[in-house]
Amino acid sequence: MTGVGTPIRVVLADDHTLFRAGLRALLESLPDVEVVGETDDGQEALQLAIARQPHVVLLDITMPGLNGLTAAARISREVPGTRIMILSMHADEEYVREALQAGALGYLLKEARRDELEFALRAVARGEPYLSPKVTRPVVDGFVGGGVAGAGSIGRLTARQREVLQLIAEGHPTKAIAARLSLSVKTVEAHRATIMKRLDIHDVPGLVRYAIRAGLVTVER
Amino acid sequence: MTTIRVVIGERLALVRAGLRRLLGDIPDVEVVGEAADGRDVVRLVMERTPAVVLMDVPLPGLNGLEATAVIVRDHPATRVLILSMHANEAYYMRALDQGATGYLLKDASLHELEVAIRSVARGERYLSAAVARTLTPPGMRRNPQWGTADPLRALTGRQREILQLIAEGHSTRAIAERLGLSAKTVETHRSRIVERLGIRDVPGLVRFAIRVGLVSADA
Repeated sequence: MTGVGTPIRVVLADDHTLFRAGLRALLESLPDVEVVGETDDGQEALQLAIARQPHVVLLDITMPGLNGLTAAARISREVPGTRIMILSMHADEEYVREALQAGALGYLLKEARRDELEFALRAVARGEPYLSPKVTRPVVDGFVGGGVAGAGSIGRLTARQREVLQLIAEGHPTKAIAARLSLSVKTVEAHRATIMKRLDIHDVPGLVRYAIRAGLVTVER
Repeated sequence: MTTIRVVIGERLALVRAGLRRLLGDIPDVEVVGEAADGRDVVRLVMERTPAVVLMDVPLPGLNGLEATAVIVRDHPATRVLILSMHANEAYYMRALDQGATGYLLKDASLHELEVAIRSVARGERYLSAAVARTLTPPGMRRNPQWGTADPLRALTGRQREILQLIAEGHSTRAIAERLGLSAKTVETHRSRIVERLGIRDVPGLVRFAIRVGLVSADA
């Protein structure tokens, strides 16, 4: 735990070198933060955590060597005094879930502003969890049991709804979906409304992009 | 030494803040504006007349490559340095086609960033070494990812703009407002897009837009 007068010691791990340099410069402008190591490789992130015993490791998810999630799991196990904050572009629920299960205490999106970075870092250094607001909803929904446990927001949809979502994303008109699934058009429309509500996505292009992220459809023709 | 005035166009706030900080540390470089949306970047260029724009590609509203074409056409004194995640010849070729002067990868070093900005400010082409290595010799050049032609070339600049906004989920009316066009004109463009691409449904257009890198699949 950092007390008054103790700098927060941080290791940075991200394979976008320019981003990492910018992040370092932002953190070093804070009087009580000290960057004690940086790397673009997950394996090295683990070594640095063991060697430097930082208060916090800021870890990106997609890195060569050991990927971020695996690195997080190993750092949690092998350097229990070090807290982990994931810093990622991706708000996908699967990533957030896996990161938390791997022992990350914080999950911050790269779309955050710099004051959010500072707030998050201090929270995690104190041992408190931090989640960017955009990733909070799926976590809360998962907690209050909105669907099939462990399956992510795609698991909050019933099997039928997943079918409908896939057909929507593949471009089939409502009538064709109804015919294919032997449902009425009204029922298909009701499913679509429920899907949009559960995913908090309110236009078809958004549903398509979601379906691609969730692996229900590919981008190919 | 004259100051090199720079505008930053980058979607992610933390990345943008980091870049601003790094550029601020270079003595003869001054950041005169920053934006997260392609249209705002264009507006800033017109207002602030920077020497260089550091331009991310997947900008909402107006993709970074389209914004580059607008800037090159309407304000050629400003040079564009593309900041890309892709060390890929197809992307580089498209950036060149749109008129970019430089192409820098996001995993470049700070030193490279500085060299790139200075080169581009002088009007010299800059290309990350990692990309240069992937280029096929000019005599054999073909766009490897798309076969013989970049499918986006089938569309005009305006049509690409509209396609991006459709794929981002904007209604016809919202698109019309944003572009200062009538809804009818937008509909007409939309029909042309459908004709030229041979894709009749919105999900198909979205998948196409993602496939060719016009929009990302991210939320």
